[in-house]
Amino acid sequence: MGIQEQYRKEAAELLSSGAVKLVIGYGEGTTADRRRPVFIRSAEYVGRLVLDANCVANLSAYLVQEGLLSDGKKVAAFLKPEGIRSMNILAAEAQLDPEQVVILGFDIEAGQATSLSGRNASDFTALIGSLKASGLSPELQKEADRLEHMGSADRFEYWKAQFSKCIKCYACRQVCPMCYCRRCIVDVNQPQWINTSSHTLGNFEWNIIRAFHLAGRCVACGGCDRSCPVNIPLRLINHRMAKEALDTFGHFAGESADQKPVLATFRQDDPETFIL
Amino acid sequence: MTRILLKSRLDDCLGAWRTAGFSVLAPVKRNELTRFDEVQAASEIALDIVITERTIKEHFFLQTEPLIKYQISKKQIETEEMLPPERKRVFFGVRPCDAAGLDIDDPLFGWDYKDEYWFRRREGSVIVTIACSQADDFCMCTSVHLAPDSTKGSDLMLHPLRDGRGWQVVPHTDRGKALLEPVAPMLQEEVAETAPVPDVPVKFDLDKVSSWLSDPANFESNFWKEISQRCIGCGSCTYLCPTCHCFDIQDEGDTYNGIRRKNWDSCSFALFTMHTSGHNPRNTQSTRWRQRIMHKFNYYRGKFGVNSCSGCGRCTRQCPVDMGITETLHEISNLPR
Amino acid sequence: MSESFEPKIVAFVCTYCTYAGADLAGTSRMKYASNVRIVRLPCTGRISPMFILKALQKGADGVLVSGCHPGDCHFAQGNYHARRRWTVFRALLAFTGIPEERIKFSWISAAEGAKFTELINGITGQIRALGPFEQYQELQTVIETQSTY
Repeated sequence: MGIQEQYRKEAAELLSSGAVKLVIGYGEGTTADRRRPVFIRSAEYVGRLVLDANCVANLSAYLVQEGLLSDGKKVAAFLKPEGIRSMNILAAEAQLDPEQVVILGFDIEAGQATSLSGRNASDFTALIGSLKASGLSPELQKEADRLEHMGSADRFEYWKAQFSKCIKCYACRQVCPMCYCRRCIVDVNQPQWINTSSHTLGNFEWNIIRAFHLAGRCVACGGCDRSCPVNIPLRLINHRMAKEALDTFGHFAGESADQKPVLATFRQDDPETFIL
Repeated sequence: MTRILLKSRLDDCLGAWRTAGFSVLAPVKRNELTRFDEVQAASEIALDIVITERTIKEHFFLQTEPLIKYQISKKQIETEEMLPPERKRVFFGVRPCDAAGLDIDDPLFGWDYKDEYWFRRREGSVIVTIACSQADDFCMCTSVHLAPDSTKGSDLMLHPLRDGRGWQVVPHTDRGKALLEPVAPMLQEEVAETAPVPDVPVKFDLDKVSSWLSDPANFESNFWKEISQRCIGCGSCTYLCPTCHCFDIQDEGDTYNGIRRKNWDSCSFALFTMHTSGHNPRNTQSTRWRQRIMHKFNYYRGKFGVNSCSGCGRCTRQCPVDMGITETLHEISNLPR
Repeated sequence: MSESFEPKIVAFVCTYCTYAGADLAGTSRMKYASNVRIVRLPCTGRISPMFILKALQKGADGVLVSGCHPGDCHFAQGNYHARRRWTVFRALLAFTGIPEERIKFSWISAAEGAKFTELINGITGQIRALGPFEQYQELQTVIETQSTY
């Protein structure tokens, strides 16, 4: 039995036994290679669930939808390792109770969806730990290195050109499981820290603050990068932040549900190389 | 016999327009993004793309536009209007859906108050459309009663020739005719066959949609909740839409100096309808999605006699969660009644 | 760069240590560059990265963030938290092309009036040599300009 059939069956059992009230998964999309999030509330509809190598979105963002988990009932969600990591962060930041989420874990290897064993967040700690060492794709590493080796002024021009494309549609924010604030800092107007206008200055400020707020929290699911309708390489900036958190503080975001948020904790002997 | 513009003469053509005082904007791929931008030579133009990621709307209704500069002193308040200069522009290689989008928005910007920022740019611009010779899975112009070669909003229409050498040139307005004058020597009279337009399947029944939407009983239908469940509430569909026109007015600066700006805004955002009191009349994503559909296919039609959609399909094409107008209207068409 | 360029530097300081240090410099009649505008806050933990961006938005050529030495925080932990935040934020600014030389961080205690004086004079000299932060300031100039079409 393929993973899709196996998970459809499991979803049906979870729903018909009343173990979960909802299964968040993937369904067919507009084109053959697109998948869209689907919400299954009854076993009779599990046939709509699709699981294959095109299932790339991180569905954990839906777990913090207003009111979804407030009745204490469980939901099941199709999650890749990144999704499990972001769920762990949401738990660590007291946004959800991991006990309420049944994880239908999967990964994509060599163009195929493969199942992950374990159904609770805590079952995946070893797996997530093993991801720590996995670096960037060679392509992305090359681009990251290219930027690192630029002079400040050139790097500024690079990002200026990229951010000037931004239209402030906030797809990056909305798709991100970490962006659950009821009122985003960019929407705060008393005081107005960030220009709401989508001119390059406003875009620069927005993108810097977005990246900062994701520092040590981003799990590199790539959702923002894929969602950006104007193709800003957000992966590069997110990766730079994740690298800082890992290299300086040994923090790998979302390792477990009780991991302390990197910027809400400290060690007295944290490195300080730049403070005069 | 028809008038033909050969691709090999395009450079001369652009040059002649520029000499005549026009800036030429055409589809380009710059910085990993396809959009309309100023070009100097034909080689810069990306003619082979189905449709640019961004619309030409952004060149008429800017994503952020300074309106007035203000200065407040103890004695007086000084303001300075920041109207765009009058400038002649040719938009070359516009898709029929994007051209139609401008036409659809004209009544909106000229209804109770004539928006000078929009009309000054509209009046200075000539729209040269190229009929589509390819379509993708998201195109839906035929569903909104337009076509890959519809002329709505076009001053000049170019129909690609079957042999790929160039285009048949057909003016549709006086502005279009006038634009041909400086390039007359580059055109030739010839009998040539035009390429067939792509077959864009009809994806929903617009009449059924209209009648369902205008029935007040359906306003509170559970359909809205179901169809919009996965909507994440970003504004990409509205900002990439050739007809969406909502804006917000922002004062940027401080108490004494600043600029009042007109910025794109989106009905998808919770903040769009948030009251100062904290009350939000559209407090769920389903009510926001309903508003978007209702506005486009019910209210706008009621007010201006036209739907606020030109079938470009960008809302679905660029949606992070594969939603969009097509699916919703398709589902409405198929609802039991 | 013109000879007469005088950089604008904004210093965000905690009230218990660095501000007191600046005060000591003043009462001790130590002279420091008048290019610095001091913004006093309760603790370095209160100094949000947003402040730095706002300073740049308003045309600062350099920013200094300063507070109590580790272990000396009036609120026990504020500066430890701040240190982590700065580490990350500084890396981010550098990655987006905002030169590290323009954003400085320091620990200055209430007793270090002399250190405050030296630091301010040093930073002012460095930023004067760098010149105005034109790349960033241009972003502001552009938005104050009329659209070109």
